[in-house]
Amino acid sequence: MHILLRAREIPDIHKYDVYVKNGGYKAFEKALKMKPEEVIDVVKASNLRGRGGAGFPAGVKWSFIPKNEPVKYVAVNADESETGTFKDREIMETNPHQLIEGALICAWAIQATAVYIYLRGEFWDVAHELDKRIAEAYKAGYIGENIQGTGWTCNVYTHLGAGAYICGEESALLNSLEGKLGQPRVRPPFPAQKGGGLYGEATVVNNVETLTNVPWIINNGADEFKKIGTENSAGTKIFCVSGHVQKPGNYELPMGVTLRELLYDYAGGPPEGRSFKGILPSGGSGPVIRVNDTTLDAPLSYEGMEKIGTILGSASVIVMDETVDMAWAASKIIKFFKHESCGKCAPCREGTYWLDKVLDRIMAGQGSLDDIKLIETVAKNMQGVTLCALGDFAANPVIHTVKQFPEDFAKHAKSPENSKSKKPAAKQKAAAGD
Amino acid sequence: MSDTVKIYIDDKAYDVPAGMNLVDAAKMAGNDIPVFCYHPKMEPVGMCRMCLVEMGSIQKDRASGEVLLDDKGNPQIRWFPKLQTACTTNVSDGLVIRTNTPQVDQARENVVEFLLTSHPLDCPICDKGGECPLQNLTMEHGPGSSRMVYSDKLKLDKHVPLGDLIFLDEERCIQCARCIRFQDEIAGDDVLAFHERGRSLQIITNSDPGFDSYFSGNTADICPVGALTTADFRFGARPWELTEVPSICPHDAAGSNISLSMRLDRDHGGRAIIKRVMPRQNENVNEIWISDKTRFGHHFTRDEHSRLLCPLVRRGGNFNETEWKTALEYAANELQLAGGSVAAIAGSGMSNEDLWELRQLVTGLGGERLGAWPPTHAGADLVAQVGVGQGTNLGDLGKGDAVLIVASDLEEEVPIWRLRIKQAHDRGALVVVMNGRPTRMDDFASTVIHYDYSKAAGAFDLLQKEHGDTARQLTGAKNLVVIAGAEGVDLAGSRALMQAAANFLIESGHVGKPNNGLMATFPGANGMGQYYLGFTPEATQDIIANPPKVLFIAQADLLFDDPAAVSWLKQVETIIQLTLFAEEPVPGVTAALPIQSFAERDGSFVNGERRVQRFYTAQGPIGQALPAWQVLNRLGVQLGLGRSKLSASILMNEIAQSIPAFAGITYKALAHVEPQFPLVGGDDVYYGGTAYRNKGGLGVQIPAAADNGGAVTKGKVEKPAAIKASGGQLLVVPATRLYNRERVFRSSELVHPRVPDAYVAMNAADARKLGIENGDMVSISAGGSTLKVRAHVNGAAPQGAVILPRHLSDTPAPLAITAGEVSKA
Amino acid sequence: MSIHDKKYAERIAAQFAKYPTKRSAVMPLLYIAQEEYGWISPEAIQEVAELCNMDSTQVKSIAGFYTMYSEKPKGKYWLQVCTDLPCALRGADEFYEELKAYLEVEDGGTSRDGLFTVEHVMCLAACDKAPMLQCNFHFMENLDMDKMKAFIEEKRAEAKKHEE
Repeated sequence: MHILLRAREIPDIHKYDVYVKNGGYKAFEKALKMKPEEVIDVVKASNLRGRGGAGFPAGVKWSFIPKNEPVKYVAVNADESETGTFKDREIMETNPHQLIEGALICAWAIQATAVYIYLRGEFWDVAHELDKRIAEAYKAGYIGENIQGTGWTCNVYTHLGAGAYICGEESALLNSLEGKLGQPRVRPPFPAQKGGGLYGEATVVNNVETLTNVPWIINNGADEFKKIGTENSAGTKIFCVSGHVQKPGNYELPMGVTLRELLYDYAGGPPEGRSFKGILPSGGSGPVIRVNDTTLDAPLSYEGMEKIGTILGSASVIVMDETVDMAWAASKIIKFFKHESCGKCAPCREGTYWLDKVLDRIMAGQGSLDDIKLIETVAKNMQGVTLCALGDFAANPVIHTVKQFPEDFAKHAKSPENSKSKKPAAKQKAAAGD
Repeated sequence: MSDTVKIYIDDKAYDVPAGMNLVDAAKMAGNDIPVFCYHPKMEPVGMCRMCLVEMGSIQKDRASGEVLLDDKGNPQIRWFPKLQTACTTNVSDGLVIRTNTPQVDQARENVVEFLLTSHPLDCPICDKGGECPLQNLTMEHGPGSSRMVYSDKLKLDKHVPLGDLIFLDEERCIQCARCIRFQDEIAGDDVLAFHERGRSLQIITNSDPGFDSYFSGNTADICPVGALTTADFRFGARPWELTEVPSICPHDAAGSNISLSMRLDRDHGGRAIIKRVMPRQNENVNEIWISDKTRFGHHFTRDEHSRLLCPLVRRGGNFNETEWKTALEYAANELQLAGGSVAAIAGSGMSNEDLWELRQLVTGLGGERLGAWPPTHAGADLVAQVGVGQGTNLGDLGKGDAVLIVASDLEEEVPIWRLRIKQAHDRGALVVVMNGRPTRMDDFASTVIHYDYSKAAGAFDLLQKEHGDTARQLTGAKNLVVIAGAEGVDLAGSRALMQAAANFLIESGHVGKPNNGLMATFPGANGMGQYYLGFTPEATQDIIANPPKVLFIAQADLLFDDPAAVSWLKQVETIIQLTLFAEEPVPGVTAALPIQSFAERDGSFVNGERRVQRFYTAQGPIGQALPAWQVLNRLGVQLGLGRSKLSASILMNEIAQSIPAFAGITYKALAHVEPQFPLVGGDDVYYGGTAYRNKGGLGVQIPAAADNGGAVTKGKVEKPAAIKASGGQLLVVPATRLYNRERVFRSSELVHPRVPDAYVAMNAADARKLGIENGDMVSISAGGSTLKVRAHVNGAAPQGAVILPRHLSDTPAPLAITAGEVSKA
Repeated sequence: MSIHDKKYAERIAAQFAKYPTKRSAVMPLLYIAQEEYGWISPEAIQEVAELCNMDSTQVKSIAGFYTMYSEKPKGKYWLQVCTDLPCALRGADEFYEELKAYLEVEDGGTSRDGLFTVEHVMCLAACDKAPMLQCNFHFMENLDMDKMKAFIEEKRAEAKKHEE
């Protein structure tokens, strides 16, 4: 079944008429007849968790918004930049009205005055199409002044980023929307608090996939939603499968489906004659897992992935087969984070630069076993101390890849004899003391 | 901050002010939590991560509020799973932190290691070396050796000029953004920013000229590494070679507290010279900030080419260098011959002690008229009446308070006041600006009112009649400060304006208490001192109208300030000039006597908030120059008018006995210091170089008449006839530019690129009528002078008036607003 | 040349209408300026700064932070090839090498005819359709060198025709 990727069954659902013919905007109309707090209660009861990666319950987030503030905002996080993630794009391309409807329901629930959909800049074409869809909803009276005679006014706008992974972090996203550098803010105050959100006003920031679930929940009720998936991970999830599978792509499946089912039954298994080696279940930022029967049989849910030492995150499943040198994969990911580190806080800014330098050395066959130890400790020193989660994200690929696939690193290291010839460099290190 | 809360640092309890930043609270408790990006004057940003601590809170029962205890009877503490940044935490009751655990030590070491990976190894040649937080914190917390391979270090540009005054060493920068945040949050000139991202992050400026701000030097102070250096000091000296001498900025009414960093210098004959000027903390005056004019405007003190090095006397038609003894005998003789018609004009750079001796001499010779120069600003008497109350701190103004700025271009006249009121505005104070043209202050104003210059003296009438809502907001404010200038008014207009301001304050009850009352942008450092010592602009006007036989001109550049001076000075028989500079002496001058600058002697000034502040001797004399008070005293002795005086402090004792406002003021009282918050400068490891702790005294604020319940009454506003332009004339409005060609600033060559070429700002409609285009040379005839300057047709002047900055060309602009002819040259 | 040109007035006004502050329009206006000048030129920065009532330093800062603003002139076609891990697993690195070789340019370089600027970029959210790139912000997916050569030659022919 598809809650989100409904275009798989109804090909033209991106069109307004088709969407409305298939029950579109009924949930919004229903929500408008409910009290805002009742809407929040339903979403809370559904146990819908944020699909952007952190998995925070959406309804709880909405309930944090103060009631008496005159100006409040919804910011839709469509910055989709995690390596290996391409689900929000498909939602916006194939089922845009459901996102708009979900965002409007959220806006009603918190009595927001405007919705800003922040799309990554590369979604240039997506944004321009989305603008047309927003115009359709506006024309139909679902956006604008006195919506459906409620007296409530709310506008919906798109905003294009311009190429910065960090803008997927909610406070960086808000800064970027305000025309500032897309760097994370100090929290508290959190976006939901006065002083912490967009233009200092209380703001809900939700992912595209999260909000697109909301119309279904309002239509069908929280209990129906909870029937899908697992106890702690309700609903479906779009799994973005990329890398070494026969059929890469998005698969919307109930939470709790196993990796084995996803990769073999849906994605067609590994390329002919090869076998899986490692998987990044949550894109570049989550811990890598070594493929074996235990990991393959782990359910894809927040709790299921935690059990095997990784995270569900945004469920961007990057699959690597036996031909992949995992040290190379780690260095690729570090290059990503070095490029995307906003530079605001020291451990991430300096750490990603340093890791990249040492990994380059290792990959060039110039590294020693000490260098492998070094990248491990440098990465560990980045963990848990940065302003936003990017520092941890950047540390993960190194820490976990070295842990899971030490042999792939060791084979790049110079032999001990060669290492000894590096003594002059060690002297230089001492000179670099302080 | 009256409420205190109990917090626990390393298992010891402390009572600290509620809501205070944890780094500051810990510092008060004697625990230096290391920081790089945090600065107590700015919002925390949590960037450097150096201040990580273990943090938790004491658990209380929700219902009863009782502290929950564990099995052993100790309070239960809920710890955060991860280390937390102290700088982003405000203290609350029951906050518990640990700063001395292995985990915290390790985190600090790691952050230092990260910062050093890209930091160069050039401490031995770095200007910051010796007062560098990174150096200090590396010694304290850093790893003993580096694991970063040297060749992996970034190689970046080490000499990036951010404009003419500040240089950036990209390798040394640790991206703490203190400079960027200072420019944005404190100065309000957001001309610095980060460019690129990640490890490529670099400080840039794109303004024209680069780093376009009057406060740029402060960024070098607060830079926690040697990334930002000033053109004045870079490669100039090592911090540990310097001797710090407390002083006061000689340039404006703010009286910024400064520290002169002195060192013996080979290029100056082995004498001690000022190597740099640093802010000296005085939270009531300039906090820890100074303007770039204060910082970079000190070179005249050592400029032997411009300073007068020995006395000159006129014999016949010739001007001869001579010894002091001869000069004083000669001058005394001439004075005696001239008889009792004697008067003095004293500049606003004269110290109280100088003014006292000048007054003694003039009155001793039977004279009465003591003129203040320049005679542009009236109403110092009103500031003495209803000036800001004792204990005023512009840093306290915020929500509910109001500031009215009238007839002043505050940024150009007293930049530190502009900086502090910008922050008051940020804290929620209502800021109203009234002037005849747009000024920079408008950017930080809640309301801007533009009036016709011909009605400038009646600005308060206009405020009350046509902007009633604004007037009511002002009068209804909790605290109200009025800052008045004299732009667009003549002396009579200035008096009317000041009286109206005083009345406005008295009427609404905003006098006689802290953070309420009147301030004025008197030119120079000692405008209020002139008043208290009896020197007034009205007397100057009288002297001009009825020139005496003998005139003292002391530290006043009449010819450069006033085109009319040349003609009336001809009527004076004997002129004794006390001067710093060897400029072409005043025509007919009898003797020109060299005096010392503020750096060569001690003395005191009274700032615009009536704070008497003391400056100390920093360098040896230039040539044979003497302190002005000593020249005058010796002249008096020569004339048989008194005894020889030995020191400036004795003169202060005399002043205190004779002038009630100074009652009880002694040099000792002026040197008194008390602990100030925030705790910066001095012995700690992380604000090194930020500013200097005040060891020279906080000064003493003279009470206003309205203070301590003193009764004050409104005065009659005598509005002079409006100055109007007719018959094709335009109003010529002289205005102040901070960077100009005044003699005290001319020697500071590094700022020359920032001194504008002489120009006049005019309105597009007027320019069109006169066939003048932007950039044309125009001729302005007004107030007895004709200037040729370039026209700026850029919206900076209202129709019917041209704005003519003073002191940009050698030909003086009119002293006050007047009608004049403008034509294409 | 200027974004003050009438042809942009409506679009610029529409952007300002979206936000409560002028500063928020800086990103959309930089896109418009880039369209006008072909890159974020000093003039572009000044004009956007004036319109958004910001110091030009802040505008330059924004332009420098985001990768989709080019602070250097570039070719008519700006080819940004994703070589991130998922794409690389499907041959993006090899594809990118071949593309550079075909155009005879280095990473970030512009072809001699001035038509194509190529650079590698991070994940573009099209991992299932690798190798892929964005050309002037429009995605081209499931690529191989045959498709690219055809595209390049087509654009070259177009340019030539235009010249004539």
